[in-house]
Amino acid sequence: MRLELGNILIKDVQFGEKTKVDNGILFVNKEEIISLVREDDNFISVEVELARPGESIRITPVKDVIEPRVKVEGPGGIFPGFMSKVDTVGSGRTHVLKGAAVVTTGKVVGFQEGIIDMTGPGADYTPFSQLNNVVLVCEPKDGLKQHDHERALRMAGLKVAVYLGEAGRNVTPNEVNVYESLPLLKSIEKYPNLPKVAYVQMLQSQGLLHDTYVYGVDAKQTLSTLINPTDIMDGAIISGNCVSACDKNTTYHHLNNPIVHDLFEKHGKEINFVGMIITNENVYLADKERSSNWAANLAEYIGVDGVVISQEGFGNPDTDLIMNCVKIEKKGIKTVIVTDEYAGRDGASQSLADADPLADAVVTGGNANEVIELPPMDKIIGYTEPVNSIAGGFDGSLRENGSIVVELQAITGATNELGFNKLSAKGF
Amino acid sequence: MVKEIERAGIPVVHMCTVVPISLTVGANRIVPTIAIPHPLGNPSLDKAEEKALRRGLVERALEALETEVDDQTVFEK
Repeated sequence: MRLELGNILIKDVQFGEKTKVDNGILFVNKEEIISLVREDDNFISVEVELARPGESIRITPVKDVIEPRVKVEGPGGIFPGFMSKVDTVGSGRTHVLKGAAVVTTGKVVGFQEGIIDMTGPGADYTPFSQLNNVVLVCEPKDGLKQHDHERALRMAGLKVAVYLGEAGRNVTPNEVNVYESLPLLKSIEKYPNLPKVAYVQMLQSQGLLHDTYVYGVDAKQTLSTLINPTDIMDGAIISGNCVSACDKNTTYHHLNNPIVHDLFEKHGKEINFVGMIITNENVYLADKERSSNWAANLAEYIGVDGVVISQEGFGNPDTDLIMNCVKIEKKGIKTVIVTDEYAGRDGASQSLADADPLADAVVTGGNANEVIELPPMDKIIGYTEPVNSIAGGFDGSLRENGSIVVELQAITGATNELGFNKLSAKGF
Repeated sequence: MVKEIERAGIPVVHMCTVVPISLTVGANRIVPTIAIPHPLGNPSLDKAEEKALRRGLVERALEALETEVDDQTVFEK
């Protein structure tokens, strides 16, 4: 599978009469977006707002962030199983509006939505403050059930991302990167002396608004399986997730998974990146056992020397993480786990709910319990009231002057467990 | 909580879904339960079946409480 990703660098977003990309500026026809979202009669009103880097804007409660992409060559279309048929994606050529994103907000769906500040101290903690965001403020009709609301908002975001991506179809990209993975045996043959490495991605699948979809399939109903890493660059995995904002993988994260990109970067040089395994995080112990057994068996079967395992969310998925780690280590395969920490506000508590001596190589996205004060912003897109009740917030989080005191947990992407953030620590 | 109560000399049965975490934190008597969102029930069962399920779990926990243990023990049945 060989995929060319053509990045069209977007440096600004503006409203315009026609949706198009012109000289690095994304022009957006507001009315067309509104009518697109209003096709779903679950929404009684839709507002479209723009939020650019450095503007004094707070977006909350954020549900998902999605990067606009369009398939220009090769089979299938972006977001297979949702916006396209289920043809296999991940080959040919895809254009990306790099620097732009669709952000969905409106009445809060679940209690674990997030905050994106476009400037100030909060902006440093979320990668989405650096993007030119087209924000959808979607208001559901009265009585819409939570799960239907989640689905409707999820689909609205995907739809608008595909609509905007289409504007990049005939634009010459500023840069083109090529990602290629060979059939397993050929890959091993090509780089016989490099250590064989796979990526094990754990997908949040606890249900009750904590779900991820693969080619349209609800991940909690899946067994661990292999997936071509370029498939995810075409949107094979999407978020339907209202888990804590700091460490949920938005659809944007899935499209730009930095572990996949870094493994490709080192492929053929330091390592042989031979494949990717996806596994889930369910709420029954038997499911946890079965899925981690299966992930370990697949890692053994493809014959790798090492794996990188990433987690999504926290709490009981810590057990899935440790099960994956321990079972794969016991096959004689080295593991590195990527997680984050809930170590208390002073950082002194146990970081994970589960642990094992075999988990001896750990990358952390940071401590989600750290408290931060976010100063007031000139403009709010969405509603600030939910910050008192979202995960990471508490009664009194929202102050009278509009400033907010929250744990990092409430900031979208702050302690991301794919490493799509900038938190780091130094020892002295 | 399990450990602190036991430290005070009162035996504890930890009823929980994620047994590995219970083992990691050091509970001595563990009764596995149904699922994380509904540890002591199962909404997919009808009322009578669910009542029987719940009663079974509580009885198993009480039996565990009466059982002498030398090491961490999971009461599967």
